[in-house]
Amino acid sequence: MIKNIIKVIVFISIFCIIWHLVFSVLWVDKNSATYFFEEPKNSFDIVYVGSSNVLTHFNSVLAFDLYGYATGMLTTASQPFSAVEYLIKESRKYQNPNLYVIDISKAADDFDIFPKEDIRRCTDSMKFSKNRIEAINELLSYTDMSDDNYLDYYFSFFMYHNRWKNLTESNFADDKTLYKGYLLTDYNIEVVKEKTDIWNDTKLDLPEENEKTLTSLMNYINENNLNVLFVIPSREFEPKHKGRLNTITTILQENNFKVINFNKLDDFKINYETDLYQQNHLNVYGATKYTLYFAKYLHENYELKNHKGDENYSTWQSEYERFKIDFNKLTKKDFNDYLY
Amino acid sequence: MSLTSLTFLIFCLIVFSIYFIVPKKFQWFILLVSSVFFLFYDNFNVSTVIQALVVLLSTYVYGRLIHKYRDTKKSKVILIIGIAIILGQLFALKYINLFLSTLNHISGHNFRNITTNSLVGISYYSLIMISYLIDIYRGTCKPQNNILKCALFMSYFPILTSGPFVRYGDMEDELYGEHKFSYKNMCSGLVRVLWGIFKILVISQRCGYFVDYVYENIVVYNGIYTIIAALLFTIQLYTNFSGSIDVIMGISEVLGIKLPENFNVPFFSKTITEFWRNWHITLGAWLRDYIFYPLLKSDIMQKLNKKCKKAFGKKIGKKVPLYLSMFIMWLLIGIWHGGAYTYIIGSGILQFIFIFFEDILAPVASKVNNKLGINDKTFSYKLYQVIRTYLLFSFAMIFFRAHSVKNAIDIISSIFVIWNPWILFDGKSLYTAGLDRPDFMVLIISIIVLFVVELLDRKGSVREKLFKQNIVFRWTILFSLIFSIIIFGCYGVGYDPAAFIYRQF
Repeated sequence: MIKNIIKVIVFISIFCIIWHLVFSVLWVDKNSATYFFEEPKNSFDIVYVGSSNVLTHFNSVLAFDLYGYATGMLTTASQPFSAVEYLIKESRKYQNPNLYVIDISKAADDFDIFPKEDIRRCTDSMKFSKNRIEAINELLSYTDMSDDNYLDYYFSFFMYHNRWKNLTESNFADDKTLYKGYLLTDYNIEVVKEKTDIWNDTKLDLPEENEKTLTSLMNYINENNLNVLFVIPSREFEPKHKGRLNTITTILQENNFKVINFNKLDDFKINYETDLYQQNHLNVYGATKYTLYFAKYLHENYELKNHKGDENYSTWQSEYERFKIDFNKLTKKDFNDYLY
Repeated sequence: MSLTSLTFLIFCLIVFSIYFIVPKKFQWFILLVSSVFFLFYDNFNVSTVIQALVVLLSTYVYGRLIHKYRDTKKSKVILIIGIAIILGQLFALKYINLFLSTLNHISGHNFRNITTNSLVGISYYSLIMISYLIDIYRGTCKPQNNILKCALFMSYFPILTSGPFVRYGDMEDELYGEHKFSYKNMCSGLVRVLWGIFKILVISQRCGYFVDYVYENIVVYNGIYTIIAALLFTIQLYTNFSGSIDVIMGISEVLGIKLPENFNVPFFSKTITEFWRNWHITLGAWLRDYIFYPLLKSDIMQKLNKKCKKAFGKKIGKKVPLYLSMFIMWLLIGIWHGGAYTYIIGSGILQFIFIFFEDILAPVASKVNNKLGINDKTFSYKLYQVIRTYLLFSFAMIFFRAHSVKNAIDIISSIFVIWNPWILFDGKSLYTAGLDRPDFMVLIISIIVLFVVELLDRKGSVREKLFKQNIVFRWTILFSLIFSIIIFGCYGVGYDPAAFIYRQF
């Protein structure tokens, strides 16, 4: 009997080991959020939370090279604003940054349009926990689930088990740190001319769900004494979103939170003819401009450690070098020419 | 509750745990509670409760009455009433629309279809309970005095979805007996469950992607596509059905309950007759014992026998009632498979036609072989017979799978009219019909694995052979099986890279 029990325990243990090995490869396609959770504990000085605007705007390895602080990019494409509180909670299990920068561009979106991919990108990167379950419950409450399976969200292998067909060499590479979350591809080096967007100060009422989520986030920040800076990135917004973002800004400022609207700054302006590759995404040149300005602002206004020369942060410098090489290769230009 | 769902897995784990913890004399009661839960899990309402009670009460009461009035004329009348009640309910719930459409067709009326709500397993437990009444009537078993035990025989949860058909005499000790936990039974049973799940999720579902795609787009996917779809549908059907039976048998084995086998490597059969002896064995045995032989021995058939012998001579005359009984039996098999003409033709009439011609042409074939000097004992001849059986069965299954008889005829026409063999060689066309190249590769490898296992199974249980191997080899096979299911199984929503890539920003 004891022999059989031992056999069962050994069998289950081997099963768990193989399971871990298999699913570490098959799991979700790597994105900035998955890189984030794979970084060493307590290694970030700033955690920058938000949607694709974060990873296309802020070049964290450039910021490191300039000022020596490490910015963790807790970002997923089209990240629903209601996921932010849960992502911050999750990040605090691993990181204790001096500052949280929260991109609020998605706070103005309607809450009834969360496609399942947007939800999955947020929740799949989290380890199984009470917080993850609560995040899934919260996000699914805004989603039409009539023809979907709830279990798939909680047990992600239902979703990813057949990703074996899409595996590439990169899935097997131990490449956890690609540009520390910044996005550099062959499409965001393009320059697409857009019409210059003028910000106006008209305010629009916030939908009930948006206000509830914002209030909950503010309460969480206050309860946990977090140092937070809210930002509206420089890009084009629809009039409805501008109106709602103005209201959100007022609410946040009334609650003593600092908000920077990059579309209203006097000393920083993006050029809509040269700095975008999509209406709402900066290309690598625009991102460099944005980072040069914002990284300096963060350096000057917050107490952030300089880790340059620290062995533990050597990958930050090497990722910056890799970024420069890849930039030069992709654009056939010298990145150093864009640093001033 | 699907046999391959996570819910069923959790349900079984709970049942196993409680079953072996409670005192053994209550084990049957745990099975009853589990079976009632399973029976009503998806469909609990007044109507379904009444349906179950009608069959249970009528078999329980009439079974006891038949036994009480045994050897009197009353027992036959009671038996007929009991069977009529069960069949009446089965007809009303499953075949009423087939009846109405036939009536509309014949009479020109336009009776609307009726929406019915039948319990899971109604086709199985109805026939099982009919056999229970007949066996009591024949004196081959005694009625169960405890109505709850009778309810367990009717509803034993593993067999409700796919069988096999069981007889009360064989199941009495199995269901109500006391079963000690056996590590060997647990391992053996779970391996069989895994093998069943592999067949369903890795092979059957994957075949289904291609078959469904072709059948839904027959205008575009025709010719060779339809031939492949027809051949794959047979594999889909077999792996789904026999896989379900493996899950059912494996679960029962863990519980210490032995059930009759329902398949015996049917695709190695050399004739359709042999095929049906190895396919859904318990249904064939049920129909043989409760329909075919009683019909053949009935007064009407005996009279017909005499008349035919007079009219056509002894040799041909005695075959007429035999073929007529066979025809009725095959018609009933077709009807049992589902209330539609496609089932009646595919799994009934066509099967009868194949068997009929096999029988009457056997002497002719033998003579032709002799004349041409063909040795029918060689491997190549047997291989030809096996392939012929597979092709004939696959042909009949075109009707079984089609939406309608017209759809089946369209598909068959396209096989003969449209000639597009390049889809096999151009390296892309074949992979546009629901299965891409990697999936095709997995399917082909899985079918080869299935073929090898079935081939080995003919010479004795593969599981027994596996358990005699060293632990390293044994566990390597088991982990390969488990992770093949987890990775290559077709379940869940599945990862759609297009959806993720499209919405990356």
